[in-house]
Amino acid sequence: MSTVEAKARGPTMPLAPLRSHIPRIALRLLGLAVIDAFTLWFLYQLVIDGVWFLAAAIAIITLGINVVFLREGLYPIRWLSPGLALMLLMVVYPVIFTFYTAFTNYSDGHLLTKTQAIRILEKEQFLPEGAPTYRWIAFSSPDGEYVLWLMSEDGKAFLASPGEPAREVTPGEAGVGPLDEEGVPQSIEGYERLSRIDTVRFISELGKLEFGEPPNTIKISSLDKAAQYQQRYVYDPVQDAMVDPATGTVYRAVEGTFTSLTGEALWPGFQVTTGRQNFQRLLTSPALRGPFIRVFLWTVGFALLSVFSTFVLGLFLAIVFNDPTVPARKLIRSLLIIPYTVPGFISILIWVGLLNPHLGVINTNLKEFLGWSPPWFSDPWWAKAGILLINLWLGYPYMMLVCSGALQAISPELYEAAEMDGADAWQRLWHVTLPLLLVSVGPLLIGSFAFNFNNFTVIYLFNKGGPPMAGTLTPAGHTDILISYTFRLAFASGRGNDYAYAAAITIAIFLVVAAITMFNFRYTKVWEEVSESV
Amino acid sequence: MSSLSWVKGFRASRRRQKRLLLSLRLMIGMVAIIFALFPVIWIVSASLDPANSLVNQALIPRNASLVNYQRLLNNPIHPFPQWMWNSVKVSSISSLLAVFLTGLSAYAFSRFRFQGRRSLLLTVLLVQVFPNMLAMVALFLLLQQIGNYIPSMGLNTHGGLILVYLGGVLGFNTWLMKGFFDSIPRDLDESAMIDGASRWQAFWHVILPLVRPILAVVGILTFIGTYSDFVLARVMLQSTENFTLAVGLSLFIGGRFTQQWGEFAAGALMGAVPIVIVFLLLQDYLVSGLTRGAVKG
Amino acid sequence: MKKRLFAVLGVLVVVSFTVVGCAPAATPTPEEVATPPATPTPLPKATPTPPPATPTPSPEEITLTIWADETRAPIIEEIGNAFTEQYGVEIVVQQMGFGDVRDQLMIAGPAGEGPDILIGAHDWLGQLVINGLLAPLDFGDKEDLFLDAAIQAFTYEGELYGMPYATENVALFRNPELVLAAPQTWDEVVEIAAELEAAGTVEQGYVLQPGDPYHFFPIMTAFGGYVFGQNPDGTYNPDDVGIDSEGSIAAAEWLDMMVKEGHLSADVDWEAMHVMFENGEAAMFITGPWSLSRLRESGIPYAISPIPDATSDGRPFLGVQGFMVSAFSEDVLLAQTFLTEFAATEETMQALFEADPRPPAFLPVREKIEDPDMTAFGEAGENGLPMPAIPEMSAVWTAWGDAVTLIFQQQTPPDEAFTNAAQQIRTAIAGQ
Repeated sequence: MSTVEAKARGPTMPLAPLRSHIPRIALRLLGLAVIDAFTLWFLYQLVIDGVWFLAAAIAIITLGINVVFLREGLYPIRWLSPGLALMLLMVVYPVIFTFYTAFTNYSDGHLLTKTQAIRILEKEQFLPEGAPTYRWIAFSSPDGEYVLWLMSEDGKAFLASPGEPAREVTPGEAGVGPLDEEGVPQSIEGYERLSRIDTVRFISELGKLEFGEPPNTIKISSLDKAAQYQQRYVYDPVQDAMVDPATGTVYRAVEGTFTSLTGEALWPGFQVTTGRQNFQRLLTSPALRGPFIRVFLWTVGFALLSVFSTFVLGLFLAIVFNDPTVPARKLIRSLLIIPYTVPGFISILIWVGLLNPHLGVINTNLKEFLGWSPPWFSDPWWAKAGILLINLWLGYPYMMLVCSGALQAISPELYEAAEMDGADAWQRLWHVTLPLLLVSVGPLLIGSFAFNFNNFTVIYLFNKGGPPMAGTLTPAGHTDILISYTFRLAFASGRGNDYAYAAAITIAIFLVVAAITMFNFRYTKVWEEVSESV
Repeated sequence: MSSLSWVKGFRASRRRQKRLLLSLRLMIGMVAIIFALFPVIWIVSASLDPANSLVNQALIPRNASLVNYQRLLNNPIHPFPQWMWNSVKVSSISSLLAVFLTGLSAYAFSRFRFQGRRSLLLTVLLVQVFPNMLAMVALFLLLQQIGNYIPSMGLNTHGGLILVYLGGVLGFNTWLMKGFFDSIPRDLDESAMIDGASRWQAFWHVILPLVRPILAVVGILTFIGTYSDFVLARVMLQSTENFTLAVGLSLFIGGRFTQQWGEFAAGALMGAVPIVIVFLLLQDYLVSGLTRGAVKG
Repeated sequence: MKKRLFAVLGVLVVVSFTVVGCAPAATPTPEEVATPPATPTPLPKATPTPPPATPTPSPEEITLTIWADETRAPIIEEIGNAFTEQYGVEIVVQQMGFGDVRDQLMIAGPAGEGPDILIGAHDWLGQLVINGLLAPLDFGDKEDLFLDAAIQAFTYEGELYGMPYATENVALFRNPELVLAAPQTWDEVVEIAAELEAAGTVEQGYVLQPGDPYHFFPIMTAFGGYVFGQNPDGTYNPDDVGIDSEGSIAAAEWLDMMVKEGHLSADVDWEAMHVMFENGEAAMFITGPWSLSRLRESGIPYAISPIPDATSDGRPFLGVQGFMVSAFSEDVLLAQTFLTEFAATEETMQALFEADPRPPAFLPVREKIEDPDMTAFGEAGENGLPMPAIPEMSAVWTAWGDAVTLIFQQQTPPDEAFTNAAQQIRTAIAGQ
C-alpha cells in the first residue's frame, strides 16, 4: 500500500509512517459511505419523479467521487474533487443544456413540453352557438359535496350535481325549499347555501367540478356564469394530432406545432429536437455576409485593447504602490479599487451621462476650453474610443489587484541579484518581473480577453452597439461585437425569442474563443518552465 | 575628508532621490484617484438629487438633499438593510468556501504531476470561458429540482445561490493561485513530510500561511464578484426579503420609463462600503517577504 | 489490487443501503396524493415534468400570487390586504423589474413557480399567448365598463387575455409662453420653430431625439405611414410591412429636411430633450405621462395637445397596462374573480390611478378625472393605435430605430434608409 501511495504522490515524495494510515482509511471509507447513502436516497427520489437528467448527473458525479477516493493512483484528484463536483453540476450542466438546446426548437411558441401543450389546448373551451348560459348559486353539504342552482335567462331553474343529470325543479321537489325574491331556494335538503364570501374562496374548487351528467356537463366560467362548455380540441394519440370535433379538422404534430392540412397552426407548440437546423440557419444567415468581418475585427480589437490597457495601468499602479514606504498606501489603494466596488451597471450609465454630447460635463467643458468636443455617440471611431475608455476605468482595479498579489510571489532577492548585475529599473521589469508575473497572471489575461470578447453589457449600455451601419442586410452598429450582433438574430427575429438559435450562436462563438484560448494556452507552458527553473 | 563628504553627498542625493520618487508616487496616486473617483463623485451627486436624473450638470444638484437616503432606509416595501445583510452574508460565505476550494485545487495542480494535468487545467479554463447566457434557464430548473428534495438549497434560498456561485470557483482563480504556489519551493513540503507531517498537514500548516497574499486576492475577487452579481441572483431569488443588494437595487431601475436613479445611486454607494471595508482589512495580507526567510529554513 | 477495490466498493454499497434502509421514511412523495401521472421527461430535456398537482388546499391556505413592478407593487399590496380581509384569501405580491415580469414568466410559469396574476403591457400579448402562458378571461358584462380600444388591445385572436386599467400615449407638449396656440399641422410646427429659432428665443423650436421610433411614429402616421397593415377586424398583418410605404418615406423625408435646415440635431438624446424643454431652450416636443413629474418639478409652464396632422391624422401609439392571469395558475377562476369583483371597482381603479397617473381604461374613473393633463392625454390618445402585439414586432424596433438615426446623422438619404430597414425587417420575419 505504501509503495503504491508513494508512486501516486509523485517521484520525490518520501515515505510517510504507516501507523497513521489505518484510522485515516477508516475515516475516508466512512465519509464515502455517508455521501453514498445520501446520494442513493436522493437518486431514489429523483427516479420516482422521473427527473432523469439530474439523476444521471448526480450518479455520475458520485461515482466519480467514489472512484477517486478509492483508487490510489487518483490521489491528486481528491484534492480537486469538491471543486470539480461543483463545477460539473453548476457550470458543465448548463453548458450541456445549451448544447442540447441548440439542437431543438426551443423558442417562443415552443417553450412547453408536448404534454403541457396538449394540456393547455385541451383546456380550451367554447360555447356552441345559441347555447344557454346560466347564473348560478352554489350549495354545499356538510361532507363537502356541492350542488348548483342554475337560473337561465328565460326564467327556468335547474338543479345540478356532479354526475347526475341536471333537472328542472320547482320548489317542493327534491327537497328544494321555497324561492326567495331572487329566484334562489331558501333551502335545499341536506345542503346549505354558500355565502358570497365562501363562494369566492371556493371558486377554484367549484371550477374544477363538472355538474350534470357527461357529456352534457355544465362548468362555471366566472362568478356570474355557468354553461355547457365544450372542449375545443381533443388529442388523438393514434394520429398524434389534435382534433377539432366540431369541424373535424385534424391538426397533426409537425416539427413541434399542431398544423392542419391548410397550414393553420395551433398555439402553443412544443419542444422537439430539430437536428442541425439551427446551425444550418446560422451558416446561411445574411448576417454572416454583410459586415461580419468588420464586426469580428472590432470584437478582437476591442478585447485585445481592453486587456492591454487595463493590464498596463493595473500593473503600473500595483508596482508604484508596492513599496511599503509610500505613506497612506492602504488608503490610496482602497480608493483606487472603488471603481470595482460600484455595480458596473450604474457606472457605465454615469459615464454615458458624462459623455453626453449635449449635456455631459466632459463635453461642455471641452467645448469651453477647446471649442470642440468629440461626438462620442454619433461617430464610429469616437464611440469605440469611448467604450475603451469606460472599459479601462472598469477593468484596471481587477488587474491592479491581481498584479499586487502576484508581485508578492517574486522574491526580492531576484531583484537584488539583478541590480547587482547592473540591470536598471526598466531591465529589471522586463527580465525579472514580467516573465515571473506572466506565469500566474498570463492565463488571467487570456481569461480577460475571453470575457471582453463577449462583453455584451458594456456595448449595449453604451449605445446598443450603435452608431448604426448603413445599408446592411441585418441591423448592425459600429460598436457591435460578435455576440451583440448575432444575438439580434435570435432575439429581434420577428418570431419572438429563439433561444435554440441563440444557443447555436453561442456555441459557434465559443468555438472561436476556445480556439484563441487554446492557442494562447500553449504559451503558458513556456512561462511555467521559466518559473520552475528559477 | 573628500571621500567622506562624497559619501555624505551620495547619501543625501540618495535621500533626495528617494523623496523625489516618493512625491512622484504620490502624484501618480493623486492623478489615478481623480480618474478613479471622478465618475463616482457624479454618482454621489445623483444620489443627492431628488429629481431622479442621472445627467446632472451641476456637481451639487439644485435641491440637494438626503431624501433619497432617507427614502431608501425607511422604505416599507424595500428592506434595504436586509438586502445589505443578505449580500454580505452570501458573499462572505461564498468567498471563504471559494478560497478554500481554490486553494485545494491550486495546490494539487502545483504539487502533483499526474497524467492529464494540463488537459484538466485547460478544460477547467475553457469551461469558464463558455458564454453562459442560457445558463439562467438551466440553473433555474436545476435548483428547482434540487429544492424539491433539499429545501434549504433550492430556489429562493441563499444556500442554493451559494451553491451556484461555488460552481464557478474552479477557474482562472485556480491558475492565479497555482502560479503563486509554484513560486514556493517544493523543498518546504518535503522537509515537512520528512519530519512526519502528512500531505494535508504540510499543506495546511506550512504552505498555506505562506500564500496569504494570493488568498486575500482571491477572497476579495470572489467577494466582489458574488456581491455585484445580479443576473444569477435575480433568477434564483424570488421573495423580497431574500434579495441580495444587487437584485434589490435593480428594482429601482426596472420600471419602463420611471427609473429612480436617485435611490439607486444612494443604494449603490452604501452598498460599496462593505467591499471597501473588506479590502481595507485584507490589505495587510498583501505583503511580500513571507517567503524570504522560509527558503533558508 | 482490483479485487480489493471491488471489495471495498461492495462494502460501501452494502453499508449505504443499510443506512438508507434504516433512515426514517423520506418525505412522502407526491404519489400519495391523487395526481395526474408524472410523465417522465425524456433524457436530457431540461424542462421538468408538469408539477404534480397539489390537492386543493383547505381554504386557509389559498393564496394568490401577483407579480408587479416597483410602481404598482405597493398599491397592489394595499388592495390585496383589503381582499384578504374580506374574503380570507391571502394575496402575495412579488416585486420585480417591469421587463422581468415577462421574462421570468416564460421560465417560471411552465415550471410551476409562476404567479397567478401579473401586471404588464398589452404588447406582451402575442409572445405570451403563443407560448400558452396566459389564461383566457371572461368578464361578462363588466367588459362594457372599459374603454373599447383598451379591451381591443388585450384581445388576441378573438379571446380576451387581460383586464386593462391604464392607457398611455404620447402627446405634443409645448411651452405656452412661447407657442400660444396648439399647432394643428406639422407645417405650423416648422413655421413656429423657424420663427423662434431665428429670433434666438430658443435653441430648437421643436426637438426630437434620434433613434427612438416610438416617438417618431406619430409623425409617420401624420404623413400616412404605418408599421404593419391592419386587417378589417383591427388586428395587424405581419405580411404587410409599411416602413417603406409612401407615407412612411414622406415622413422620413420631412425628418431629413428638419435636420438639414438645422431644426433637429443628432446630439440631442432623450435626456437632453427633456432638459432643454425644462430650461426653456426648446419650445415643443413629444413625450408621455411618465415625464409629467419631472416637468412639474422643474416648474416650466407646459400645455398638452394632440399630435399635429399632415396629410393624415397624427396618431400616437397606444400602450395599455393591465392584469393578466397565468395559464399555469392553479386558481384561474379565483384570479378572474379577484379581477372582476375587486380590481374592476371604482376604488381600486382610482387608487391605481393615483399611484401611477395614466388615463384610466376603466370608464367610470376615466370620466371623473379632474387632472387636466390626464384629460389632455386622453384626448390625444383618442385616435391612438394600439402598439402591435404580434411577435413579428420584435424584428421592427432595431431596424426602424437605426433608420431614424441614420437620417439624423445624415449618413443615408431618407428613402434609402427606410427602404433598407423594411428589407431588414422582411428578412428577419421570413426567418433568416
